[in-house]
Amino acid sequence: MIWKIIGQSVIGTSHIQSGKTCEDASSFKILTLPDGEEALILFVSDGAGSAAFAAKAAEESVIKAIDLATVLIQSESAFNDGILQGFGEQLYDHIERLAKEEQVPKNEFSCTLLGAILLPDKSVFIQIGDGAIVTSNQDGFFTPVWWPHNGEYQNTTAFLIDDPNLPTLKIKVLDSAVMEIAVFTDGLQMLTLNNETESVHQPFFEGLFPWLRKASSSENISILNSRLIDYLSGASINARTDDDKTLLLATRQ
Amino acid sequence: MDEYISFEQVPFGSDDFADNPESRCPCMLLLDTSGSMGGMPIRELNDGIQGLKNELQQDALAAKRVEIAMITFGPVSLESDFQTVDNFYPKNLAASGDTPIGKAVAMGIELVNQRKQTYRENGVGYYKPWIILITDGGPTDDWSAAARMVQEGEAANKFAFFAIGVESANMEILRKLSVREPIKLKGLMFREFFLWLSASMKMVSSKNPGEQTRLLPPSGWVDL
Repeated sequence: MIWKIIGQSVIGTSHIQSGKTCEDASSFKILTLPDGEEALILFVSDGAGSAAFAAKAAEESVIKAIDLATVLIQSESAFNDGILQGFGEQLYDHIERLAKEEQVPKNEFSCTLLGAILLPDKSVFIQIGDGAIVTSNQDGFFTPVWWPHNGEYQNTTAFLIDDPNLPTLKIKVLDSAVMEIAVFTDGLQMLTLNNETESVHQPFFEGLFPWLRKASSSENISILNSRLIDYLSGASINARTDDDKTLLLATRQ
Repeated sequence: MDEYISFEQVPFGSDDFADNPESRCPCMLLLDTSGSMGGMPIRELNDGIQGLKNELQQDALAAKRVEIAMITFGPVSLESDFQTVDNFYPKNLAASGDTPIGKAVAMGIELVNQRKQTYRENGVGYYKPWIILITDGGPTDDWSAAARMVQEGEAANKFAFFAIGVESANMEILRKLSVREPIKLKGLMFREFFLWLSASMKMVSSKNPGEQTRLLPPSGWVDL
């Protein structure tokens, strides 16, 4: 066991009140490589609250992203901007096809998408829309891969389905491994990031990662994973956000 | 041997969150308090505004997020500058004077723009501002400049402007003033209107594809 990962998407109180479902989705997968090393793929998505198929769009994009990334890894593909642009376009096509099947305008399938493909010697980050990815190396100090960008208004952002050319797709490829990563949707942004200093609020992650580092069995991990639901749906978080919230945490320490 | 840890018991997850100011949702009310609003209408309007405060206050996040300002006319006067709901204490409005809608709209837009500037200077996120005009008459001043400001502001996605006509309101002019179709209030159902407004503002934070302002379907208080 190299990577230890937990992750949950939890419905926000405003969605409960309005009778909606959770429109965040998350998915991850650990692949064992031929040399015994591991690759980790993880993606999260936040469906636009006013889109009719927000939940389905979010669910489908993370599953499709995992599938496409799996193929890239298994075919030992290079990870360059061209390949990753193609990855984004295949995701776009998939969601557009779903909208056609449902015979609705494509923006009824609006969702963000962000995540990473982590190989032993390479780290790939991908993001469209808000939410954030933060990483740390040996010292457990987290920094954002990108500072999240909203439009002028807090509730406007970019979505996967906005434009087939994906002008808002952000890609970063590092020729190094990351030790730890957290990916979350914008429901948690205000709690985890300090806007004034554009830095990660370390105490948030200091309450979580040490336990995941200490987990030594799949049973330990599964306990922490169910405790993550309690934490994300607890009163202290709900007092600060009424949105759906997704958090994926992974460590190789 | 590994130390034994009971993962069911460990203090998993911190209550120490980033201390960012809550994003604000500014709402500018432009209220007709001209002589013709005297009697029942002004009483119902006062009750409606109180109801708006009470409703928003019951929602912990809306109470921190929604900011209300009130301009009355005429004469045009800033009755209450932008305040979060907790600090919004609507005074009882009295009816008198004429109906300078043009001047009130211009002042409302100006104050909304200033408010956004203040948010930006303080690193506070915000939602699209709403400007709501409520009148039972027609403008007694020149309103062409105001109409242009509304059009330009809506086109540039600077705010959403809604016109609500009461009783004998001049709906023809409201239609020219507002890009969105003005709505005629049924009777004096201010209370129902403000309940709808508060419910719409509570869901304002939901993410939007495109730039449209999403509202709950108006129910009950619209005169069709």
